[in-house]
Amino acid sequence: MVTAEVTTPVKPAKKAGRARTWPPQTRAYKVFRVVNAVILALVVAAVLFPFLNVLAQSFSSEKYIESGQVNIWPRGFNLTTYTHVMNDPLFWNNYRNTVVYTVVATVVAMALTTCYAYVLSRHELRGRKVLIGIAVVTMFFNGGIIPNYILVSDLHLRDTVWAIALPNAISVFNLLVMKTFFENMPAELEEAAAVDGMSTYRILWRIVLPLSKAVLATMTLFYAVAFWNSWFSAFLYMDNQGLFSVTVYLRNIIESASSVANIQMSGDTQVQIAANIQAVTTVLVAVPILSVYPFVQRYFVSGVMLGAVKG
Amino acid sequence: MNQPYMNQPSRRKFLATAGAGAAALGIAACSNAPSAPGSPSGNTSKNSTGAMKNYGVGTQFKATEPLSFSILMLSNPAYPYKANWLFFQDLKKMTNVSLDPTVVNYADYSTKQAALINAGQAPLIIPKTYPGQEDQFVAGGAILPVSDYVHLMPNFQDKVAKWNLQGDIDTLRQSDGKYYLLPGLHQNVWVDYTMGVRSDLLDKLGIPTPGTLADVENMLLKVKAKYPQMKPFSDRWNQPTPGGAFLQMMGDAYGTNAGWRYQSPNQGAYWDRTAKQFVFAASMPEYQQMVTFLNGWYNKGLIDPESFTQSDDIALQKFTSGKSFAIMENAQYVATDQAAMAVSGATVAKIPVPLGPSGNTVVGSRLENGMMISSKAANNPNFEAMMQFIDWLWYSDAGQMFARWGVQGLTYTGSVTDGTFALKPDMDWGGIHPNAKTKINVTYGFFNGVFAYGGSTQLLDTQFGPAELAFQKVMDARTPLPVVPPAPLSTLQSQQMTLTGQTLMSYVQQQTLQFITGKRPLSQWSQFQSELTSKGTGSFLNIFNTAYQSYNKKFG
Repeated sequence: MVTAEVTTPVKPAKKAGRARTWPPQTRAYKVFRVVNAVILALVVAAVLFPFLNVLAQSFSSEKYIESGQVNIWPRGFNLTTYTHVMNDPLFWNNYRNTVVYTVVATVVAMALTTCYAYVLSRHELRGRKVLIGIAVVTMFFNGGIIPNYILVSDLHLRDTVWAIALPNAISVFNLLVMKTFFENMPAELEEAAAVDGMSTYRILWRIVLPLSKAVLATMTLFYAVAFWNSWFSAFLYMDNQGLFSVTVYLRNIIESASSVANIQMSGDTQVQIAANIQAVTTVLVAVPILSVYPFVQRYFVSGVMLGAVKG
Repeated sequence: MNQPYMNQPSRRKFLATAGAGAAALGIAACSNAPSAPGSPSGNTSKNSTGAMKNYGVGTQFKATEPLSFSILMLSNPAYPYKANWLFFQDLKKMTNVSLDPTVVNYADYSTKQAALINAGQAPLIIPKTYPGQEDQFVAGGAILPVSDYVHLMPNFQDKVAKWNLQGDIDTLRQSDGKYYLLPGLHQNVWVDYTMGVRSDLLDKLGIPTPGTLADVENMLLKVKAKYPQMKPFSDRWNQPTPGGAFLQMMGDAYGTNAGWRYQSPNQGAYWDRTAKQFVFAASMPEYQQMVTFLNGWYNKGLIDPESFTQSDDIALQKFTSGKSFAIMENAQYVATDQAAMAVSGATVAKIPVPLGPSGNTVVGSRLENGMMISSKAANNPNFEAMMQFIDWLWYSDAGQMFARWGVQGLTYTGSVTDGTFALKPDMDWGGIHPNAKTKINVTYGFFNGVFAYGGSTQLLDTQFGPAELAFQKVMDARTPLPVVPPAPLSTLQSQQMTLTGQTLMSYVQQQTLQFITGKRPLSQWSQFQSELTSKGTGSFLNIFNTAYQSYNKKFG
């Protein structure tokens, strides 16, 4: 009885301990979760609000915009500015340039970064540390804008896509993430492939890359977003507005929105365009790259985490 | 996402780097022996291919052989650059010159201009440069001392002489006595910024248009009494300095420097015409009087408490929705603000710049943005022709008319000189004919800010509507104050001035607002002066006065 009295309360306690989920479903924890959810919802709202506000402004009429009545829902639905911007051939020309620059520069960047990272991940390579040093030193020192400009100019790269793609082809940050990823790959896989007679290039192409989809997708996204958003190279190295990227177009519009309306337009159209041309152009430029995220988000998260473990 | 490899510096950071680079290069390039200002020293006899032999005032320039000159071409989003503009076609027919442009967008023009000049790859003609912007490139030797070559420019010299602009031009001189910018030339001081009011309410309340600061105060008091819920004055343009345009106007009325004019060009160094030396603006009795006067307005509830801190958008919303009565305006904004008025029957008008203790004077420069010439141009075999071309297009009456209004019969009729000028009804610029489909700048490339600026008052008046013309007529009747004499700073002086001047300027701006809004009592004014002294007003003024005396001794 005594034993039973002693053991009985113990055993259920142990069972309860095994069955108990972590974290404990206490009242305090429930309160914590509610508070947490509220705070995170507020953060989401704070992050989303500017996007929704810009989107709403882009579809609103100027009277509501000027009087500050537009929040997250369009008021006085209006497409005048969309029509104006979308009828501007220069906008579409610059948009096409951005697509071309982004695709070409991302392909070049991925090819070079992948090859460089794979080489650096081979511990048996002689001079590996020197090669790493060559890359890393550029994180701390660079020639500066004017020497870079002279170099690009003397190489006759100005007014070509290569002025955008080549100087920015290897991001050392991305390079090191990829290197770490490749280093974490089991050596046995490559050894087995080598025993089967595969060359280094075939091992990279047939074994390593198919197993690196996460990091490749992540790095592609990093590069693509960066090239899409980039304006400085296009601005600096392009002397013809037919070669500008759409971000240069957008920047120009944002900096001088009022003068666009003042001189080119008249009456109601002028006022309407001045009121939301920034919002309209921002939406048109941001939407394509935003819409890429959901498709690669899965790789994006896992790719970054994998690279970061031993980074 | 911040990608380190993208290396996209801010414009300010970039300009600082570029400026430092230019200064460093300048160490090797400062060997010009001083020469008398204005003395022609540039020998161009070997570079006269294509130049006219008998070119002078009134002559139509036409190169003796087809020529092409490179130019930095600003593309304004309001009228994006087009290679096939009629302007370029007619220019080629008239002058035998075609332009080879490097096109740069409006937003980053000065950044690219700096990059090209510092990299030694600038086009020959570098327009859209405001007085003072050329300073950073002088030491590097990449731009031409144009003062050595103005003898090739008869129209430029004619206008400088005819409009008595030599004093204005002298303000551009560097410490070597030369100037490196060909500025836009105005016949008269063009005042644009002033207070704008709801003129419909003035009419309704029977208030006459105010002429003095006291009149303005009465006007605001009457409006406040009638519409207590309305903010009498709620201002915009608080960047880069709070109350930029408003305090500038007030400073001019009191005979000191405030607002934007405090900031530029001399960061608070005011030229005392009587003592013939620079004094510190915020230490002048006039500055104290101005601050005291504005504190009175504030205490009477005439100035919106948010006036000096709010964004332009908020200020405009208040004005267009009828929550405020007055705001600072310029000719361009009056039109857009009028169009944006949400109150039925509301009208907007500029009042004449209110007069204060400094009397019936007007303050301003008659120089506008202009162009630099690449120093490579001097070795170009067509250099003399290029200078003649520039002289004709930018400084001759015919060139200015062509650049501004286009071709007689096609875009306009009549003549400016006899007052019969009229833009053709099917042409528009700036809303003159709002229903016309052809904008002369968008379609033809005329009235392009790269080519059309400056000129006689008569020419300038052609672009204004009746209200602005009436405003300009009042302003033209006032006496312009003499220009500030040149006090060009050396590189070292400039660095010293930046260090001390920035600190002083920030403190003065901050404390000025504190006094106006009553957060600091006016009884502490003398304590404020002691604080300024301890922050280095003495050494700050010494830099300017030394520079002035040094220049005066060499070239005065």
